[in-house]
Amino acid sequence: MADFERLSEEVIAGSVDEVAELTQEAIDGGAEPKEIINQGLINGMSIVGQRFKEGDMFVPEVMMAAKAMKGGMELVEPLLAEGDTSTVGTVVLGTVAGDLHDIGKNLVAMMMESASLKVVDLGIDVDPAEFVEAVKEHQPDVLGMSALLTTTMLEMQNTIELLEEEGLRDSLKVIIGGAPVTPDFGEEIGADAWAPDAASAKDKVLELID
Amino acid sequence: MINSNLKANASTVLEVLSDEQCQEILSAAMQVLEQTGVVYHYQEALEIMEDAGCYVDGNRVRIPTKLVEKALRTVPSRVTLYNSRSKQPALRLEGNNAYFGTGSDTPFFIDPYTQERKKASKETVAMATKVIDALANLDFVMSLGIVQDVPQPIYDRHQFQAQILNSSKPIVTTATDVDGYADIIEMCEAVAGGEDELRQKPFMTLYAEPISPLQHDNDAATKLVLAGQKSLPVVYTPCIMAGGTVPATLAGAMATGLAESLSGLVLNQQVNEGNPFIMGGVFTIMDMETTIFSYGAPEFNLMQAALADMAHYLEIPMFGTCGCTDSKVVDEQAAIEDALSILITAQSGANLNHDVGYIEHGNASSLENLVISDDLIGMARRVVKGIEVTEETLALDVIDEVGPGGHFLAHQHTMDNFKKETWYPDLFRRTRYGEWVKNGEKTLTERANDKVIDILENYEPEPLPAEVEEKIAAIVKRAEDNL
Repeated sequence: MADFERLSEEVIAGSVDEVAELTQEAIDGGAEPKEIINQGLINGMSIVGQRFKEGDMFVPEVMMAAKAMKGGMELVEPLLAEGDTSTVGTVVLGTVAGDLHDIGKNLVAMMMESASLKVVDLGIDVDPAEFVEAVKEHQPDVLGMSALLTTTMLEMQNTIELLEEEGLRDSLKVIIGGAPVTPDFGEEIGADAWAPDAASAKDKVLELID
Repeated sequence: MINSNLKANASTVLEVLSDEQCQEILSAAMQVLEQTGVVYHYQEALEIMEDAGCYVDGNRVRIPTKLVEKALRTVPSRVTLYNSRSKQPALRLEGNNAYFGTGSDTPFFIDPYTQERKKASKETVAMATKVIDALANLDFVMSLGIVQDVPQPIYDRHQFQAQILNSSKPIVTTATDVDGYADIIEMCEAVAGGEDELRQKPFMTLYAEPISPLQHDNDAATKLVLAGQKSLPVVYTPCIMAGGTVPATLAGAMATGLAESLSGLVLNQQVNEGNPFIMGGVFTIMDMETTIFSYGAPEFNLMQAALADMAHYLEIPMFGTCGCTDSKVVDEQAAIEDALSILITAQSGANLNHDVGYIEHGNASSLENLVISDDLIGMARRVVKGIEVTEETLALDVIDEVGPGGHFLAHQHTMDNFKKETWYPDLFRRTRYGEWVKNGEKTLTERANDKVIDILENYEPEPLPAEVEEKIAAIVKRAEDNL
């Protein structure tokens, strides 16, 4: 019988090596891959999310936990049965054209990955055409756009307009964020959601996918 | 003679007096003692000083410099105060070690439930002590109120009982008179397990103060003598008002205050060479608009920092003052005055720093002011820690590994170091606007009140063994019966 409780605890502690070891032990012991993921790895990570929200954990600790979980996932994923998936959805993410700020967007990406979302991170200075291209290729559930400058915020609107022109707007939800971005602005440009910080961005995306 | 204060400020330590200036003020104080002299209102003290070689004229005593210098040689450069429960060292009063605690004997107490300004009582002292015990950055206890709901001649026994039952942190105590002090020592001996045990690991020090200018009243002088006889540490604190009881010029004020301290020290060391002595001073101005003794003036902060320089120069542990305000309530003025005095005190490296939690220039105590100051002390301690520059902290390998455009959030180096390098507040909030609105749009003072109530209702200090509690109660009862 695999010790899922300990596996979760090591995820919470961000112990990369221990998580890999315990995951391998569970696999060798014949545990179901899905159970290792859900009862061990994901379970640990959702406790981390809860603690972070309550102010009991700090960002670097969350990041280390996510790193540890990811290491375990990489061992289990190849063993998943056909049709089983370790992710709950796909998000395409990027900082809009003309903007090179990405620490906030990176945080969002890592928070999402820690919640078992598949993240396609397009990086910085992503223009509307590149976003649209990525949407065609990855068919995400959600498109996330970030901007730190009031001057680049308008690129979000340009991207949404291009999605509409290409007939892709209804196939996904759009979430936006960044320091100058407000919920009012989101409504104005026709985004589906807005989030003030990385943790709530992850929560909002999970809501959108539900 | 030209003096220059200019120093390259290459550390977080604040010094306002150069060694040369310290020596000048010391010389001035010794001249005051030699020429002007001081008064002791206590026959035994006069005899001790005369035997030592002082010139005694009535109760006026002129002290030769050689006696001051001898006392400065015999007084210990360090004092350790212990935790009353664990018996482990809690405060090492020496060098630039800065510890923080509350003040004593305010007439009024702000009730955290009603915000009513009421007379301090045994119950309010117990409440305050419990909160002090719970706060991470508060290192020692003073009563934050004078117990007024018991027979006044023996209030001090009740006050000490309320403190020792509710905190294991070291206590700086007042006493009504020498009998009260003796009873408090007996209570401490009951806790320590005997007279020798208490002397070896003291967790209590007596607070006494001269009357400015240049007078040691009967009360203060007897306490200095008794502390010497008992070999227990004593805090001796001139409370001077520049322009009122001492000259308006800060240098002259400092010299007079120092003369008061040194004449107390000489008496104490004459009784017991090497007795632990903590040099105090609440050095401030008389506010000439209101005549109050100001706890928030910049001159107060400046003289407290200068006195810390003096104490370091003389190598005597220092009793400082901070975290207090002239404001009548916990408001912006209170927060600003608290913050300035706490930071300046931490930077100046005074050792045993009291009066945290005072409002209304020492007339009232506020637990909200106390918990806000607890955060401020944490903040000041972080500043004083400074920036460590080493191979590990320069982190060149990490910078190179992450490279342009990367980030450090998920790096092991960040994980290993961010908590060591960064201080996190408890009451000061850094949440985003939406979160703040969701949490009730509370101000700092409102959150401080929430924290006080939470501690009062949920925190339990470590109790004393039942038989020790009984012994303490019996000493209190004996004092009442003897009234």
